[in-house]
Amino acid sequence: MHRLISTLIKEFKLLIVDKTGITVLFVMPVLLVFIMTLIQHEAYKSLSQSGIPVLFVNNDKDSLGIAIEKGFKKFGVCELTVDDGSIYKSSDDIKKRIVEGEFLAALVIPKNATNVLRENVAEMVNVFFDQKSKVQKDQKQVKVEIIIDPTANKSFVMAINSGLKELISSIKTKILFQIMGEKIAQLLESDSKAVLPDSDFFVYEEAYAVRDLKKTYQPSAVQHNIPAWAIFSIFFIVLPLAGSIIYERSEGMFIRLRTFPGSFLSILSGKLLLYFLVAIVQFVMIILLGKFVMPLLGLPVLDIGTNWFALIALTVMLCLAAVSYGLLIGTLFNTPQQSAVFGGISILIMSALGGIWVPVNIMPHIMQTVSSLSPLNWALTGYYELFIKGGDWYAIQYQVLKLGLFFLFSVFVSYRLYKFKTRLN
Amino acid sequence: MKADCCIQISNLTKKYSGNNSFALKEMNLDIFNGEIFGLLGPNGAGKTTFFSIICGLLNASSGSAQIAGYSISKELESIKKIIGVVPQDIALYPTLSGRDNLLFIGRMYGLKGKNLKDRVQECLSKFGFDKNSDEPVKNYSGGMKRRINLIGGILHNPSILLLDEPTVGMDVQTRTSMMEHLKELNTNKKTTILYTSHYLEQAELFCDRVAIMDQGKILCLGSPIDLIRQENGKDLEDVFLKFTGRKIRD
Repeated sequence: MHRLISTLIKEFKLLIVDKTGITVLFVMPVLLVFIMTLIQHEAYKSLSQSGIPVLFVNNDKDSLGIAIEKGFKKFGVCELTVDDGSIYKSSDDIKKRIVEGEFLAALVIPKNATNVLRENVAEMVNVFFDQKSKVQKDQKQVKVEIIIDPTANKSFVMAINSGLKELISSIKTKILFQIMGEKIAQLLESDSKAVLPDSDFFVYEEAYAVRDLKKTYQPSAVQHNIPAWAIFSIFFIVLPLAGSIIYERSEGMFIRLRTFPGSFLSILSGKLLLYFLVAIVQFVMIILLGKFVMPLLGLPVLDIGTNWFALIALTVMLCLAAVSYGLLIGTLFNTPQQSAVFGGISILIMSALGGIWVPVNIMPHIMQTVSSLSPLNWALTGYYELFIKGGDWYAIQYQVLKLGLFFLFSVFVSYRLYKFKTRLN
Repeated sequence: MKADCCIQISNLTKKYSGNNSFALKEMNLDIFNGEIFGLLGPNGAGKTTFFSIICGLLNASSGSAQIAGYSISKELESIKKIIGVVPQDIALYPTLSGRDNLLFIGRMYGLKGKNLKDRVQECLSKFGFDKNSDEPVKNYSGGMKRRINLIGGILHNPSILLLDEPTVGMDVQTRTSMMEHLKELNTNKKTTILYTSHYLEQAELFCDRVAIMDQGKILCLGSPIDLIRQENGKDLEDVFLKFTGRKIRD
């Protein structure tokens, strides 16, 4: 224990005199989480809080055009600029404006679109009621143009498309009912004219499935990004740790360390213990950032749930896994350059696979399978369970177990590698 | 093991894997309690291999080595407690101060609290570190680094001190001062000192006995005066060249 504490004190002293190391270990992770969450928050906002400029050219000026305009204003997915065709006369004009960045997308409803729709629907109704003509004539087509900036987010484009289709379908149904009503009234020789209500029969309610049924959840950049980028940052402890192990091994100090009485393992454990504590401090700092600093910037407060035991167990295992990976990299490679390149890239790959950058559920099936091999994915799944789904220890126990096994595996392989590299023959 | 023998080497052989030649070949050597013993030889003679084996950093291919009655292959832990090692390379953390380096080394040898602090201060003062002990080692001159490196080996008062080229790169003043400190340690505390060196003049002055080795074998052994006399040499360098030749080594 005396040797372990002595090494811990020495490592602490080495760390505090290394200003760059302190910056890398404490400032950079906080900065990363801060920036990524802010960026993602803007992305969340832009789809939900009418930030995206969209041009709506209503050449129709009738029911269809009016309904689409009203509908998009109601959706609130964008900031709508409406033109009746007097300013933006051609598709080329509109494309130029989009290329210049004035709009992200444009919807162009052609002239007489409503009339054509009415004629087509009337034709359908006539075919239905008219016993003489059973064959429907070719219907006229209405060409609605959607012009999009190629850099636009795919989900935004999908939202525009589906919104447009929904509104067209709704107005088409309304016209169908109107014409059919008129036709039936004609047949019944009735003068009454039915007025269809504007309101929809369906009310849509979005609810998120969480384990704690009493809890309501609203997705936010804070809840999703803070755990994800915290895991990513903590794993980056691999670089200074591996560098420190390699530096010590390649310098004269290694000979002295190996001639000290007692096990070399206790010396190494002191180093690992310090980096483990650093990783814990990093995590706490990031959580405090989400709890107290992010709200000052108008972001939601990070909710870390109430399952403290589960949270501590998961965090301890995450930090042990990160430190053991640093040990493995530090033992495997012979120069700090090799360890920095391999360590850095391998963490990027593991984080990409682990769902840090892109949610796992939108990955191809094969990648989803591969993703389940990433320690970062195990940790992220665990934190999402605790922070988002309201899960408890039982919901994360397998993630904790997998991280624990990863820690043991890395330590074991490192030990074998160390023994091989420092074999006495 | 002979009663007055401190280090006893019997038929010690070392052959590195993938190398046809022997780094050490059936080496036999007795170093006695309280003597200053110099192991001399050109580059590649096997000095560092021998040093590494008796420090427990390398295994011998065959033969045996005993230090203070402990077998190097079976009782290394007991040996580590009684030896002090001063490696050829500067074995210090450059960003830590000289004092912090020594506090760490002392703790690793089991020194604690006030005893540790007092011992570190005593050594620092003795080796001329009254002013710079709290500065980072990276700011020290080569000689200062060597002195702290040496203190790291003697801090815990070892009964046997193993030094691998301890004075390399030092100016004459620092080298002489350091050797005087070692002599004092040997006289006052009866510390057995084994050191390897290229400085033959220094070995001639300070060593009770020297061994000249080359190609893994000891070529001659005795007190510097006896060797000079036996070989009709002017000085130890003359004897050295006689045994090892004038061919430049890699």
